[in-house]
Amino acid sequence: MDDQRRLEAKGLARAKIRAKRRRVAMIRRRTLRGSLVLFAAVWAVVFAQLVSGNDPALSSAPKRASHGSVAATEPRPAPEPETSDEDEPALESEPQVVPEEEFAPEAEPVEEEFVEVEPEAAPEPEPEPVVTASS
Amino acid sequence: MIAGAVSAGPHIFWITSRAAGTAALVLSSLAVGAGLLIGSRGGALKGLGGDTKALHEALSLATLVAIAVHGVALLGDHYMHPSPLDISVPFTGAYRPFWTGIGIVAGWGLAALGLSYYARRTIGQSRWRSLHRFTALFWLLGIAHTLGAGTDATQPWFLLLIATPTIPATILLLNKLTKNADDRPRQPVSTAPEQAHPQPGRAPSHPAPARISEPSR
Repeated sequence: MDDQRRLEAKGLARAKIRAKRRRVAMIRRRTLRGSLVLFAAVWAVVFAQLVSGNDPALSSAPKRASHGSVAATEPRPAPEPETSDEDEPALESEPQVVPEEEFAPEAEPVEEEFVEVEPEAAPEPEPEPVVTASS
Repeated sequence: MIAGAVSAGPHIFWITSRAAGTAALVLSSLAVGAGLLIGSRGGALKGLGGDTKALHEALSLATLVAIAVHGVALLGDHYMHPSPLDISVPFTGAYRPFWTGIGIVAGWGLAALGLSYYARRTIGQSRWRSLHRFTALFWLLGIAHTLGAGTDATQPWFLLLIATPTIPATILLLNKLTKNADDRPRQPVSTAPEQAHPQPGRAPSHPAPARISEPSR
């Protein structure tokens, strides 16, 4: 009689332990799902904010950090959602900032090559490149 | 929408970090709230003792994962371009060093105290318990970091989202602190060996008033 009671008690204890494990596993699963849903929802809200141009990180007058180092307190550049291509805003903004720095080094080697090549190919028109190089 | 997706592409890591940071704060507030409910005897979830513990553990682990994503995602951001040191060593980064530094301290603190649960036998149960109470301090530092350095800290939706779990947890914390403050004067009085090691059969019968009345005899 005692043995049967013990067995019953053991069975009951095991069932309780199993039920507890099941509950714990369910809590973990639900927490994981909830966390992922929360993350995804916040991600979507922030993304929508950024795309619509209402993001607090975007300024009213965006400035690009053109010298490589990030201006820590300055707002980030706007993604400009209305335009369909990424290249267009870059083309619009580049001529204002870059032209003096980028076109100057490209122009110099072209003139030097022209001066070196022409004397070999056509020795007669030498004076003309010399005049252009000095100018 | 596709056009927006294309143009927002460079900001993917930035968005991910912000979302993970927000999720980390919400989850940590829920975890702190659940932890305080475990500690409070006769609390609202008295019948769910084991379940609250499991919930507290799961929420804490989810918080740590979210904190890790929050920091690591910043490494991919081309605008800020922080180094691994910037995101792991407090007060060294270029972006709002003070508030970011506080956040890094909070992150490390939460990770250390949270994961110390699995080493509590080595640390010692009572020592671990007293250490674990400091989790609330790091949680508060996390809130300060969010409000000080958070990009969305001025957004109504964000404030509503973080206030929902944070305010109840803060109330529970204040409740616990005030209870501890009330209980504190009684503790040094009950130093007799009978009180320190009560008999298993006996019920503790109002120890504090009995001890207080003794010196007057």
